[in-house]
Amino acid sequence: MNVPTEHLLILSAILFAIGMGGFLLRRNMIVVLMSIELMLNAANLAFLAGARQHSAQAGHWVAEGPVMVTFVIAVAAVEAAVGLALVIAFYRRKQTVSLDRLSPTGATSKAN
Amino acid sequence: MVDLLFYVAAGVSVLCALGVVVSANPVQSVMMLLGSFVGIALIYLLAGFQFLAAIQILVYGGAIMVLFLFVVMLLNQGDPVVLAREQGVLRKEQLAVGLAVAGSALAVLLVAVVRTDLPRPIFGYLWPEGGLDPLLGMAQAMFGPYVLAFEGASVLLLATAVGVMTLAKRQRSTPVAAANEEVSA
Repeated sequence: MNVPTEHLLILSAILFAIGMGGFLLRRNMIVVLMSIELMLNAANLAFLAGARQHSAQAGHWVAEGPVMVTFVIAVAAVEAAVGLALVIAFYRRKQTVSLDRLSPTGATSKAN
Repeated sequence: MVDLLFYVAAGVSVLCALGVVVSANPVQSVMMLLGSFVGIALIYLLAGFQFLAAIQILVYGGAIMVLFLFVVMLLNQGDPVVLAREQGVLRKEQLAVGLAVAGSALAVLLVAVVRTDLPRPIFGYLWPEGGLDPLLGMAQAMFGPYVLAFEGASVLLLATAVGVMTLAKRQRSTPVAAANEEVSA
């Protein structure tokens, strides 16, 4: 593949922006978590684009990018597990996964 | 030909990512996210990171997607009645602010990428002739200079397993009593 690094980085930027939009605009907690996964994927893509650029310039494989991507994937798995456990705990209390029902104090809100 | 495949995979992953954000049904969102991950895995493969492509499919496309799908179905989120009840009203100014923030992030990133003058070496390898195998180099780095981070990741995974079990455990009595139990235990 002889695609320039810029195109990989542009793809990464677009995916990150889409994830950010979903994170800001969606109310469903599960979809918000999915948007975070999208942003992490975009960051991974940028890491790999950088690793590829460095490897091609240096003439040998630069391993830091792939290593970092592996750690990001591990952290993404952790984040999905903890986030979904929190969603389930929240659903037990409020019978909904809408972020509108999340009150800052954690108290059962009287408004709804 | 291979370059064309990259642009196809990129288009698929961007369209699927849009589908994740736009679709009202979370089950559809999960499926779209799976498509996006597979597209990105194909790009990893084309860029010469075969091991990471496999990890992407296994961990993201397998484990994380199953986790999401499991929770979506456990909480009955695909049900039209539930969906209609959950549907929040997004006010116009909220939509405008959200789109503005995401759009300006995109603009900043794109400007930064376009204005950076990167050299253009030959990338024309899938499997490099000679040189260090990418997986071998990665393993040497991970168990060499980054071994502490690697062990930290395993500790993090263990802590997550315990924490998730505590969080998702069904509370036997009132929340306050359960909290007191946990403090005394």
